[in-house]
Amino acid sequence: MDDDVERAARKVREVEQAVAERVTRTGPITGRASSPDGAVTVVATPGGPPQQVVVSPAALRMGPQGLAAEIMRIADRARRTANTRLHQALDRVVDPRELAATGIERGPDEDDFGWHR
Amino acid sequence: MAPVNEERMRATEQLRRDLAVLTATVEHPNGLCTVTASPAGEIRALHLHPALLRQGAQAVGQVVTETVRLATNAAVQTSFNKTALALGDGMAIDVESIAGDSPFRSTWNPVVPPKPPAEQAPPERRPRSPRVADTDDDAFFDNPSWLR
Repeated sequence: MDDDVERAARKVREVEQAVAERVTRTGPITGRASSPDGAVTVVATPGGPPQQVVVSPAALRMGPQGLAAEIMRIADRARRTANTRLHQALDRVVDPRELAATGIERGPDEDDFGWHR
Repeated sequence: MAPVNEERMRATEQLRRDLAVLTATVEHPNGLCTVTASPAGEIRALHLHPALLRQGAQAVGQVVTETVRLATNAAVQTSFNKTALALGDGMAIDVESIAGDSPFRSTWNPVVPPKPPAEQAPPERRPRSPRVADTDDDAFFDNPSWLR
């Protein structure tokens, strides 16, 4: 059992090293999504909680329930974008099936302007 | 297959199912926002108190961000706890050695509670007045060692 754990830990360290080198070159991997009218903007990280939630003053007119629903919708889009970007950044470093197994699913690719290809 | 291994595999499979649907619900310390989140930071439910909106757009964004982080940490911690319960503390420690400390163990992201408003602030402590020399020579009460 100890050998298995040590092997797994070594593999994780190797992947971490490769990911760190990759991220040093590309910059932090995040996903950003906004409401069409700019009411809510969310910056998400892959596999983690949103890094930033920005609400415009006009969005307060949506009321607590409407605003909560919009934040959830935009946060979900930002999370999917972040996960897809992680897949794109690590496609030569980590087996995509292993990333998917950790709950980080790859969504449809987007170009630099946020349009789906 | 040895019964112990079968038992462990069953426990692992059950754990996998439990972790897939695991969430945690947390209320922000200010009581104005409640979030249910998965260990991966997905927001499953979000409740905003009307009073939070009255604090302005910036406060809403900040409080939601903090509450999602707290709920995610709680969900991650619960998954560590479930792992320890299902597979033993040793396995949970092994997972920590690979994946990093559990949120409970690491202290990198506490939410600093806001300073209470002036009317709620605790009263300033006054320096204790100096003890008046006791003129009573009663040795029994002068020596507090009998209290120990």
